[in-house]
Amino acid sequence: MTDLTQSAALSRSEPEAVPALRPGLIAKYVFILLWSAFVVFPFLWALTTSFKDANGVTNGATWLPWIQYRPSTQGWSSLFGGAGGTDITRPYLNSIAVTLGASVISITLGTLAAYGLSRFTFRFGWMRNADITFFFISQRIMPPIVLAIPFFLMLQALGLLDTLAGLILVYVALLMPIAVWVMVDFFNSIPRGLDEMAWMDGCDPVTTFVRVILPNALPGLVVAGMFCVIFGWNDFFFAFTLTFTKTQLLPVAIVALNSSVTPWWALSASALISIAPLVLLAFLVERFLSKGGLAGAVR
Amino acid sequence: MLDLHNLRLAENGVPHLDSITASFAPGTLTTILGRTGAGKTSLLRAIAGLAIPDAGEIRLDGADWRRLPPWKRPIAMVTQQFINYPHLPVLDNVAFPLVRRGEKWPAARDAARAMLDKVGLAAMVDRRPSQLSGGQQQRVAIARALVKKAPVLLLDEPFVNLDYKLREGLREELVEMLRTETGTTVLYASTEPREALQLGDRIMLMAEGRLLDAGDPRAIFERPATLEAAQVVNAPPINIVPLEIDTVARMGPFGTQELGALGRDLAPGRYRLGLRAGDIAPGGPHRARVILTEVSGSETVTHLDLAGLPLVMHEKSVVAHAPGSEIGISARLDRGFVFAANGALISQGASHG
Amino acid sequence: MYRQKYLFLLPGLIALTAIILFPLIFTIRVSFSGWDVYNPGLSWAGVKNYVRLFEDTRYWSALSRLSLLAISTVLIQYVLGFALALMVWKDVHARRFFRVLFLVPMMTTPVIMSVIWRTIFHESLGPLNPLLDAIVLGGQPWLSSPGWAFAAVMIVEIWQWTPFMFLLLLAGLLSLPSEPYLAAKIDGAGPVRTFFSVTFPGLAAISVGALLIRLIEASKILDTVYVLTSGGPGEATETASYYIYIRGLRDFQIGYSAALSITYLVIMIVALTIIAKLMVRFLVKGQS
Repeated sequence: MTDLTQSAALSRSEPEAVPALRPGLIAKYVFILLWSAFVVFPFLWALTTSFKDANGVTNGATWLPWIQYRPSTQGWSSLFGGAGGTDITRPYLNSIAVTLGASVISITLGTLAAYGLSRFTFRFGWMRNADITFFFISQRIMPPIVLAIPFFLMLQALGLLDTLAGLILVYVALLMPIAVWVMVDFFNSIPRGLDEMAWMDGCDPVTTFVRVILPNALPGLVVAGMFCVIFGWNDFFFAFTLTFTKTQLLPVAIVALNSSVTPWWALSASALISIAPLVLLAFLVERFLSKGGLAGAVR
Repeated sequence: MLDLHNLRLAENGVPHLDSITASFAPGTLTTILGRTGAGKTSLLRAIAGLAIPDAGEIRLDGADWRRLPPWKRPIAMVTQQFINYPHLPVLDNVAFPLVRRGEKWPAARDAARAMLDKVGLAAMVDRRPSQLSGGQQQRVAIARALVKKAPVLLLDEPFVNLDYKLREGLREELVEMLRTETGTTVLYASTEPREALQLGDRIMLMAEGRLLDAGDPRAIFERPATLEAAQVVNAPPINIVPLEIDTVARMGPFGTQELGALGRDLAPGRYRLGLRAGDIAPGGPHRARVILTEVSGSETVTHLDLAGLPLVMHEKSVVAHAPGSEIGISARLDRGFVFAANGALISQGASHG
Repeated sequence: MYRQKYLFLLPGLIALTAIILFPLIFTIRVSFSGWDVYNPGLSWAGVKNYVRLFEDTRYWSALSRLSLLAISTVLIQYVLGFALALMVWKDVHARRFFRVLFLVPMMTTPVIMSVIWRTIFHESLGPLNPLLDAIVLGGQPWLSSPGWAFAAVMIVEIWQWTPFMFLLLLAGLLSLPSEPYLAAKIDGAGPVRTFFSVTFPGLAAISVGALLIRLIEASKILDTVYVLTSGGPGEATETASYYIYIRGLRDFQIGYSAALSITYLVIMIVALTIIAKLMVRFLVKGQS
């Protein structure tokens, strides 16, 4: 609440808070603009390259279409199986399915576990609530390579190698720690008195969770969902080691382009189209940030 | 009849409830009076099932509540914090407990609307709790507690977070509403003796998890059984003056005093004299230094230092005594209470009508 | 009374334990086997793999290279992220635009951006060298010289993950209470003193969190290296993860790579625990 009112106060004071230009201020804007240039550089390069053909690429680094090179839509048409590229429709759908599937499962299980950890006391041997929470979150420490081979053998044994279900299973382990991390903090910020009031109004813990807590948990769920989608969509290594050709995910399909006789135009076009959905997510993140919704959730 | 038997609850070795045994009859309002930390909230939470006692029994009309979770106990509670369901409009907030009990939404909403009308929120039924003022939010909480018509109603300092004027008004409204709820056992936790006097059929004093005294509010105020009880029922706090009797009565900085009827039957020895803040008045032979003056409404409470003895003076007018200055005071010592060394009341001065 | 509480915790706990713990225990068992291309299966080889590992200088240099890479990039990300957060915190035009822009890199897929970066670093056809020539810094053999390849990996990591630091620190800045700033203003503190006595202490806890999360993630670096340099030239950019990947999934020395994995995991946990304790001690507790 304080965050919200505070940032609201900040944005209200914006017009008069921008002071006149001073040397320090010029340095500040120079720094901001230099960093902005660094940030957009790869995107601009990919954008211009995506409109080149073999001639355009081998003529060296050029930026301006029509003036420096003759634009071609070859890169973009190759996305759907045109010359020098592969059809990325299938990997795209696979990536969406795996990311959403794993995120939904992770958030469901993670939110339930986080609620339990936030509201009740557990004791398994020497492990108390804090230890169990740490156990969840600490799974992020596990390097993918440590798990890659046993995952491979495990999925093989289950007959899930090179399937969406197998990947979703593995991604759940990857994403659930994130969901627990965000949601434990979030639930801790909801007063226990709310749950107790629901109990006295006749709700058992499960009903309390479904009817009272969940409807009030949207901000936390959005933040958790955002992080799950980012980490799920952007994973490469498990998708790479646990699938072959049948269930290719987007990053694997694009990196595969890289190893062939590098068709930079197809590469650039597919790269841009595959990062596009998450770049849109940045706007959502910023909105939450400005509303102060994130500060509580990331601490 | 709500019966508590030998209820014990400790946390990290600190007793919150220490062998509480008490009964509460249906249709009565009992004010549980005690300072912050006296165990009032623990008691209400134990009855509600939110805190699990280490030992003892809670029974309603003979039914054992020990294994009954909060959601199965026929109770309603209003807490200090204004707790409502943030995602529901006011009307559904109040209808919610009825729906959870199995009623259909339309019927529950009708009952909720009637109850909201009673608490004066008929115009607010479509708002969210966050769009209401603190007083209105607490009215919603009260409506939600009353609409259930639960046989046991627990009120845990419901108005403590509201400003003074609002508190007075809401309290009167609540008393008025409770009058019509015959058959409900009401427990009202409070830190304010005045509130207890105004509200209750019955008063229960608590300190450090123990039950000090119980009975008619007026009687307990007039005749507290122990020094501890006297400290709880008096606000501003009662003054404690050392009293030593051999051939004469010596009273610390007040010197040798004639006690009259109050001291007539006292054996020689050490006692403590309890003196209400209202029995100390400005103007008199004793020179005291002013430490602090608090004005509340039309009344003034002054903290004094009389040769090392801390005293509190209560005046029914607005007076400004400058801190650090010396004033003369007089004390109606003959109106005091005499407590034995163990704290029990021995004798009592002139009547306090 | 609250038996339902297990309904909340257990599904997630069991799922995670099943997915992670079995593979982990399996890896430990495999690390004591001689499983390779010629002898697949769980034979018993004792501590042979662990003995071999101690003499494997390539592994230890990959580990120290990883430490250098992780610590240096994370520190640079922290400094840059903090600076950027301070700059778009307030008093700046188009604040929200820059905030979104600065967040974008962390939303992009690391391998896919590495593919793009590879074309940027291309010595003859990439855009970077002409640009450096133009500002008289001169082009470099980015991916073919050991030092420059390492720098290239660092640049990509910094580009990708500075936004994460930026995000957490900006969120922290936006939730700072305003009273201490008023107090500092009344005391006549300048911007530098206000920063060190108000802003930085206020962000100490979140800084520790952000640094730790990034160190954990950075110590797993694999994707970027795989695409950008394949560990090369030679072994110049080979990280621990990448070396284990080569031994396990290229050479199929499953038993040996399992021993490498377990050692790597233990070293990481010990190192990160020490770093965490030190940071909490000096950054958080030192404040009070």
